Amino acid sequence: MPQEVIDGFTKETGIKVSVENYASNEEMLAKLLAGGAHYDLIQPSEYTTEALIKAGKLEELNLANIPNIKNLAPEFTKLPHDPEGKYSVPWMAGSVGIVVNTAKVKTPVKGYGDLFDGTHKKRIVVLNDNREIVSWALSFLDHSVNDITPETLQQCKPVLEKWLPQVKVYDSDSPKTELLNGDVDLGIVWSGEAAILYKKNKKFQYILPSEHAHRFIDSLAIPKGAANKENAEKFINYILRPEVSVKISDAFPYTNPNAEARKLLTKAQLANPASYPPGDPKLETFSDIGKTAKDIDKLVTDLKGQ
Amino acid sequence: MILNETIETTPQQRRPGIFGWLLMTPMILWLVAFVVVPTAILLVYSFCQRDELGQVVYHFSWENYRRIFIDSDTGHFGTVYWTITLRSVIYAAFTTGVCLLLGYPVAWFIGRAPERRRNLLLTLVMIPFWTSFLVRTYAWITILSTDGLLNSFLQYTHLISEPFEMLYTPGAVVLGLIYNYLPFFILPVYGSIEKLDGSLIEASFDLGAGPLRTFQRVILPLTWPGIVAGILIVFIPAIGMFGITQLMGGGIKPTIGEVIQNQFLQARDWPFGAALGMTLVILFAAVYWFTARRQQTV
Repeated sequence: MPQEVIDGFTKETGIKVSVENYASNEEMLAKLLAGGAHYDLIQPSEYTTEALIKAGKLEELNLANIPNIKNLAPEFTKLPHDPEGKYSVPWMAGSVGIVVNTAKVKTPVKGYGDLFDGTHKKRIVVLNDNREIVSWALSFLDHSVNDITPETLQQCKPVLEKWLPQVKVYDSDSPKTELLNGDVDLGIVWSGEAAILYKKNKKFQYILPSEHAHRFIDSLAIPKGAANKENAEKFINYILRPEVSVKISDAFPYTNPNAEARKLLTKAQLANPASYPPGDPKLETFSDIGKTAKDIDKLVTDLKGQ
Repeated sequence: MILNETIETTPQQRRPGIFGWLLMTPMILWLVAFVVVPTAILLVYSFCQRDELGQVVYHFSWENYRRIFIDSDTGHFGTVYWTITLRSVIYAAFTTGVCLLLGYPVAWFIGRAPERRRNLLLTLVMIPFWTSFLVRTYAWITILSTDGLLNSFLQYTHLISEPFEMLYTPGAVVLGLIYNYLPFFILPVYGSIEKLDGSLIEASFDLGAGPLRTFQRVILPLTWPGIVAGILIVFIPAIGMFGITQLMGGGIKPTIGEVIQNQFLQARDWPFGAALGMTLVILFAAVYWFTARRQQTV
């Protein structure tokens, strides 16, 4: 969340906001469930939102306090992880795809198969996220990214056994850095990272993998027992204002789910293929997988550790 | 060996009085709060399980330890965690070895320098601590990356035509570890060298010993406690290090520290992370006990 947006909210309402950052949903959950700190507002992705709703860890939103929710594009309401939209409000979405430095890579790369065909050995950065890594193999094998069973994982194993040794760096925090530094020529990264690269230099092309691709939806939600629920709702409502939402897009060029805010974006922003992929790609979202997370962790650790 | 025994100063074996205990109270409280209690929590967690959300469920199970020792796919004894731990130990051993080779001469140079220059030299050793180790590690990334400072310089001076791949290799991991731990080795060794009585060295020379013999029979035994302290301070934390190894190694071949950290954050399997942590603690304790026993019997 850009500091400018937070300062603007404090200036207008007098409500002070203290922010704590985390690198992943899992880290956020660890902090939230450890119970050391009491948060009024969290930003989980779709599969984490789903798990939190299931576990009864979220407050139901009072939508009367959030009239700006009408600004959301229809495809971002009533989502599978929160079918009635009672617990969470999407504020940012994006996809995971392939970035190619076309100044270095002359052969076309259309999907995971091309990326890991052996010609780009040790020229690849990928997200350091075990569930992501396994989802690419699942897509490659034409399974749904949520079809995680002992059998499908067993099928993923030989694929990843071939892929992972070709990776040079695992980085979830800032994979664009390795691409900019020239340490690697290709990557599987968050679309927002790719959008920043594209903005810096058009040679960094973003491709949604031909096999399948998936998208993530980051929402705002209020954890159970939050002390300042009403203020949290005020903040959500503030974020949904088009002129505020645009500032978030300026700082983090992911896909903005706010239809009114999109109207205020510049032509260049809308033309960035990483932020707003052309056409109407079919994108899957992750659903909560509960305890199978353990099997995923084991699979990837076994392959990486050897 | 006779020389050894006569020089060694054994501390007075006396029971501490009430005043002694009183002085030790803050230390004991500190140890209880930050060592004993967390270790006890780890021990309890290591026998628990995780639920769907990754919360700890208090349901007794050996499962976590079985996962460390027995491969669930093959049913054989020995798992990937052993390989990972062994790799971390090798990194740490190599780091400690290089710290010994580089650090001892530096500590000697500082310890034998004129007194007024010693403080300046010590300050120079400590200056890196004024910034976070993460910032310093990022600085190394800027230096070592493919289009980084070092490669640009080497190419500019035509020493190489193609950039060297330095970052994200085991070499980079060890470099990062050595760079970060070297001061921790120098300081305790410096402490024992500074206390070294110069007249003993002179006596050794007067009695006809050459430089090598003097070093072997006088200097090394007298500075040995500092060296042991340095080795322990470097070797053990280096095994568990995760930040530097992740950033400089690119997460390709994870260290045991990275795997444990991963259990607590990404995998959110605290019980398994706790079991891995406990196994390491027991391993360290065994090594320490073994070396302590050997020192006594020698």
